[in-house]
Amino acid sequence: MDSDQGQVQREDAQQYELDPTFVNSRREAIVVFFCWFVAMCWAVPYCYFNGYNITNPADMPTTFGCPSWIIWGIAAPWIAADLFTTWFCFCFMKDDELGIAGDEEHLMANGEDVE
Amino acid sequence: MFQSTPTLLAQGGSGNAVLITFLIYIIAVFVIAGLSNKLLQSRNFLSEYFLGSRGLGVWAFALTLAATSSSGGSFMGFPSKIYSHGWILALWIGSYMVVPICVMGLLGKRINQVARTSGAITIPDVLRDRFNNVSFGLISVALIIFFMTFNLVAQFKAGSEILRTLLGPIDAFNSMVDSMPDWFSSLSSQTSDYLFCLVVFGIAVIVYTTYGGFHAVVWTDVMQGIVMVVGVLIMLPLAINQATSAIGDKDSEKTGMALVTEEMSEMLPPRFGTATLSISSPLTQSTAIPPGTWIWSKLEDGTNSRLFKTRKRYVLEKDSPKVEQAEVLEIISAADIKRASESLIASQNSNSPHLMGIVATDAITEKYVYGADKPGAYVTAPGPHRTSPDGFLPLSLAISFFFMWAISGSGQPSNMVRLMAFKDTVTLRRSIFTVALYYSAIYFPLVIIFCCARILVPGMESEPDRIMPQIAVVLTENIGMGWLAGLLIAAPFAAVMSTVDSFLLMISSALVRDIYQRNINEAATEAKIKKLSYFFTLIVGLGALVGAMYPPEFLQDIIVYTGSGLAAAFLAPVVYALYWPRSNYQGCIAAMLGGFGTHLAMYFVGFINGDGFSPYRLMGTDPIIVGLVASFVIGFVMTLGTPPPDERVVRKYFYKKVEG
Repeated sequence: MDSDQGQVQREDAQQYELDPTFVNSRREAIVVFFCWFVAMCWAVPYCYFNGYNITNPADMPTTFGCPSWIIWGIAAPWIAADLFTTWFCFCFMKDDELGIAGDEEHLMANGEDVE
Repeated sequence: MFQSTPTLLAQGGSGNAVLITFLIYIIAVFVIAGLSNKLLQSRNFLSEYFLGSRGLGVWAFALTLAATSSSGGSFMGFPSKIYSHGWILALWIGSYMVVPICVMGLLGKRINQVARTSGAITIPDVLRDRFNNVSFGLISVALIIFFMTFNLVAQFKAGSEILRTLLGPIDAFNSMVDSMPDWFSSLSSQTSDYLFCLVVFGIAVIVYTTYGGFHAVVWTDVMQGIVMVVGVLIMLPLAINQATSAIGDKDSEKTGMALVTEEMSEMLPPRFGTATLSISSPLTQSTAIPPGTWIWSKLEDGTNSRLFKTRKRYVLEKDSPKVEQAEVLEIISAADIKRASESLIASQNSNSPHLMGIVATDAITEKYVYGADKPGAYVTAPGPHRTSPDGFLPLSLAISFFFMWAISGSGQPSNMVRLMAFKDTVTLRRSIFTVALYYSAIYFPLVIIFCCARILVPGMESEPDRIMPQIAVVLTENIGMGWLAGLLIAAPFAAVMSTVDSFLLMISSALVRDIYQRNINEAATEAKIKKLSYFFTLIVGLGALVGAMYPPEFLQDIIVYTGSGLAAAFLAPVVYALYWPRSNYQGCIAAMLGGFGTHLAMYFVGFINGDGFSPYRLMGTDPIIVGLVASFVIGFVMTLGTPPPDERVVRKYFYKKVEG
């Protein structure tokens, strides 16, 4: 019985492979999570060491007219995040097949493009 | 010259502009609803009504997601916080730099694929079908209805408050409210103007959502999203330019934004307290003192000494022209006092001469607990705070907020539903990029604009939620284009509308699709489903409207609770369902209930400790972090401790048949 079941599983394993859409999505999700983590590790500690406990605000350095700790702690990583997002969207993320739902079939049959 | 009191706003031409903009706006959303309803006639009703037939293109998908995420808070609460606490708000909102890629990139492609594979239209649909388990679907429906109902009532109230803030200074609006019959006012525990705005807001949003469905919501979101970004981009240069001019002949080498920051570094937080308001000359009739009226206290020789601003409306009666214990705000910074007194002479002399003789006496005011008498509080962290000795944003909360916006935003079912609606992965990629640019164009500029507002409109801590409409009026009137204020002021109204319509549709879809069609009558005809969808959307909307007539206490806290509670309950089970083939319904149900229960427990402990609706903060962190950690851990342990899922289900969602 067990060996029969094992046989079926081995046959199944030969017929099926991990869905590439799933594999790509998982890989992209890991990169996205890493991006969030790096952004936090840049912004929060930088602002903590440079924006908290400033003893003499009158002499506080500014960059482009804004407090420097905001520019280098928030604006700079924000621009970096936008650049990363651009790379992610146009160079890293794969175009995958998402499938067709039952409710879409009649639209496809009519040749309708929804939006 | 640079500051307008509410009385000035009421008499300015911008009042009519606001009204006209509002009317055009309402007409536009009804036209959109009509067009959307035409689409409903030709397509699968349920899929079209609740999911737009899974066919959203780049602009529709990007802007509906951006507009839904930017609730009224982005254009009312956020500006109010920037104004009250200064530059630290850049760190508070900082994680929006990765919100688009997190909210759309973390789950987007995969949830869209799984929803298509299973034919799911709602989030409970996805969970139920993914695990082939009816109970899981029903539990998630129950949680969505529980959280969303409270949130919907709160959002209706927020919508009414925003409309009241926008229309409040307009004479025509006040006359209309005054002419309302007594029975109308008796319908609510709140004031008649609140009720009037609630009914107008509620009926508009219920009608266009009910009639037009998902596409009406999406297209109005697109319009609202455009209004928001255009408003911000117009205000940015105006604010910097006018704030620099307002500082005037300061002895400084700095110019532009650097001058604004330098001026902010010298500011001191105001003081809140009470004073007796009176007038020395006899009154011929009772005189109203609107909220936001500047009033001096006098020295014995008659010279002005301290400057106050009223926080509520008071009336000096003809026979007894004195108000005791009036709530006031006192501004402390010398430059603020100078600018306010200049504008006081410019505005009240010409518009409200009857208010000029009023003086404040017996003033008792309290300093901020953090930042008082400490120049620089508005340009350094953690920012001034009226009651917290740790300031506005101590480090633990800075981490929490970085976590909250990006990660908990990914766990919102209202965002997940939108992720099920885009057309293809090309649309997803381009939309992530579009939303990233969109948020960059909105959030950081908002910080700059409302830092400039501290210079342009001093003393608005008395009514901080009015700062957005107020600054819009000031900026446009200073360049002689008061009509433009109408466009800028439409932004917060647009933001709250786009949030409410999405929540409304989520609850009605849970009732029609997840409860009725999938559990009571699977063979229901399309005509029946159509009638029920209209009916439930209407009933849910009207129910929320009635609930908002008697809004519960701690409303703002409820919005925060429901937002973070939904993420604590839904994020882990959805992540497991999408990315972990070994996950099973036992583990995911445990993750959902564990996250919900842990998050609720934080609030319960806070309540037991006597903090009211304020949660217990474990190591100073927000309950969302504790809830999410608990949810992921419980789900993981429970999954490994229970049998693996059915092989066929795993194959269906994670594997693909090898061709040939």
